[in-house]
Amino acid sequence: MEIVKVNVESSAFEELVREDRVHLSVYEDPAIFKLEMENIFGRAWIYVGHESEVPNRGDFVTTQIGLQPVIVSRHRDGKVYVLHNRCGHRAAIVCNEERGNTGSSFRCGYHGWTFRTNGELLAAPLKNGYPELYDLRSKEFGLVPVRVESYRGFLFANLSASLEEDFDLAIHLGPMKMCIDALCDRAPEGEIEVLGGVQKYMIHANWKTQLENLNDLYHPPYSHESTLRESGKQFARRPGDQQGPQISESDERKSKWDRLGIWAFDHGHSYCGSIQEESDDGESRSSAVVERHKAALLAKHPPERVAEILKERYHNAIFYPNLCIQLMSHHIRVLRPLGVDRTEIRVYPVRLKGAPEEMYHDIVRYLNITHSPASLIQTDDLEMFRRIQEGSHSRGAQWVVFGRGFGQEVPDAGGFKGSGTSEISMRNQYRAWVDYMARGASS
Amino acid sequence: MNRSATQASASAVPELRQVEDFLVQEANLLDDRKFEEWMALFDDKGYYWAPARPDQQSPLTEVSLFYDDRELMALRISRLRHERIHAQIPHARTVHLVVNPRIQDFDPQTGHLSVHSKFLITEYRPSVPEGLQRVFAGQYLHTLRKSGDSFKIVLKKVTLVNCDATFESLALYF
Repeated sequence: MEIVKVNVESSAFEELVREDRVHLSVYEDPAIFKLEMENIFGRAWIYVGHESEVPNRGDFVTTQIGLQPVIVSRHRDGKVYVLHNRCGHRAAIVCNEERGNTGSSFRCGYHGWTFRTNGELLAAPLKNGYPELYDLRSKEFGLVPVRVESYRGFLFANLSASLEEDFDLAIHLGPMKMCIDALCDRAPEGEIEVLGGVQKYMIHANWKTQLENLNDLYHPPYSHESTLRESGKQFARRPGDQQGPQISESDERKSKWDRLGIWAFDHGHSYCGSIQEESDDGESRSSAVVERHKAALLAKHPPERVAEILKERYHNAIFYPNLCIQLMSHHIRVLRPLGVDRTEIRVYPVRLKGAPEEMYHDIVRYLNITHSPASLIQTDDLEMFRRIQEGSHSRGAQWVVFGRGFGQEVPDAGGFKGSGTSEISMRNQYRAWVDYMARGASS
Repeated sequence: MNRSATQASASAVPELRQVEDFLVQEANLLDDRKFEEWMALFDDKGYYWAPARPDQQSPLTEVSLFYDDRELMALRISRLRHERIHAQIPHARTVHLVVNPRIQDFDPQTGHLSVHSKFLITEYRPSVPEGLQRVFAGQYLHTLRKSGDSFKIVLKKVTLVNCDATFESLALYF
C-alpha cells in the first residue's frame, strides 16, 4: 500500500525531543499530528475493545485506530475480526452505529454492497456491470481486515502487522501483562466483562496531554485541590474505604507521593504505585461486599494467592499509546485522537465475573464520580489540558521541560523506576515517540 | 388543620399551577447559584439522575452522567464553592427554561406524583482566549412528594436529548 509521506527527516524528531524536554510544536503542529497517526497509531498495537463487548455472532462495535474507522466484529466462526469500516467500492463507512448486532452481514447504504462479518464481500448488486479484469473476490473489495490479537479478552490491533505472521501478544506486552492479569484475576471467575456503558469526554487538547497526566503524581494536590477535605484527604473512591487517598500534606518540601514509584518500560508503557495507602492493621477497608468478594476468591484460590490478588499493585497502567487500566476503581480508559487539538476519551467500568453484583454497582457509581464528564476529578484535568493547548501557541519559551527526577531513575522490574513525582513516564513516552516517528521517516 | 383535613389535602391531586411554580422555583435556584437551597428541595433519600443513554434503565448497572444522592450533592456543591475549582474559574452562568409540564401520575396513598416537563438551558462560561456558550435540552421527570403546602423531590431525572454524546466538562446541574 502506498502511503504519501510528509517529507520530514528522522533527525527532525530528535531535534524536537531531548532527553528531558520536548518542543511545543509536538502539541500544536498539524503536520506532526498527521505523522503521529501514520507512524505511531499506524504501527503500534492499539487497543480496540474487549471481547466481552461483542459476545454473540453479528455483534459489533465501531472505533478508530488513529483516524481510521474500524469495526470490531464477531463472525459466525466465533472469532473477532477488526475490519476497516470502509466500503470496498466507494469508501463510504458501512457501519454508522457505535454498537449493535448486524446479523450475518454489513450493508453499505450507497450502492447496496454487502459484506460478511469477517469482511469478505458477499454481494455487489448488478455484478455483471464489472468487466472481467475486476476480481470482486479480492480482499480490497471487501472490508479489509486488520491484524488483531487478544490477551484475556483485551483486543489489540495493528495496522501494519501482517495477517499471517506468528506473533505472541503476551510476549509483546512484557511487564505490562501483569497489569491486565491483576485486573482480571480480581474476578473470581478470572474474566472481566465490559458492558456497563461508557463515559465519554472531550478534551480540547492534544492526545499526549492526557497520556502525560495519567502517571503524573505531582499534579493531584494542585489540580484536584477542590476535591480535598481539610485533612488533605480526598473523598473515598472505593466502597469499604473509610476515607479517600491522602492527596496533600502539610510537609511542603517532601511529598508522600514520592514514596510511591513510577515504573517505565520499553515502547512508552508505564504504571504508577497505588495511591490508596493500606493501613497496617488491615482495617482500612472493610464492608460486607468486600468480604463477600474475598470469600468468592477464597473459594477458588488459596489465602496467600487471594492476598496477592487483592493487593493494589498499581494505580494507573498506561499501554502506550491509547489504553489505561486503573486497578483501584476497576476501569479501562481509551484515548482517541480526533485532531491535533481534539481528543475523545472513553472510560468503561469493568465487571468482575463472579464478584458480588453490588460490587459492580459500586464500581459503576464511583466511575460517575471520578470519570464522568461531570465528575469531581476529571473536570479539572480537562480544564488543564485545554489550558496547555492554549499555552502551546506561546513561544515565550519553546520547550516543555520534564525534568523532575531526571537522571535519578534506577533499573527495576524489567524497566526503570522513578520516584512518584518524577516525570519519568513522560520522558519514557517521548523516547518511544521518537522511535516510532523516526522509524517511519526513515523507512 | 385537623388530622382528617391533612389527609384530605395529601390525597388531593395537586394543581398543575402549583407544580409548575415549584419547577420554576427549583430552576431559578440553580440559575441564581443558590445550590444549598436547591439541594434542600430534595427529600433526604432523594436522587438526581442524568442517564448517559436515552433508554437507560438502571443507574446501577450502567454509568450515568450524574447519579447523586444527598451526600454526593453536598460534596459536589462544596466543590462548586471551592476557590480552586479550576473548571469553574471563572464560573459558568446559566438560564434554565422549564416548559410543557404535565402531571403524569399521582398516588393518593403516598402523595407521590410524577411530572414530565422539557427544558432548555443556555450556559456561558467566560474563558481565555474566548468564552464557551452551550445549549442543553431534554426532558425532566420529577418524582415529587407532597410536603406541607409544597413538595420534596424524590427523584429528578434529566434526560438530555444528546445524553450519549461526548461532552466537555459538565460542572453544573441541569
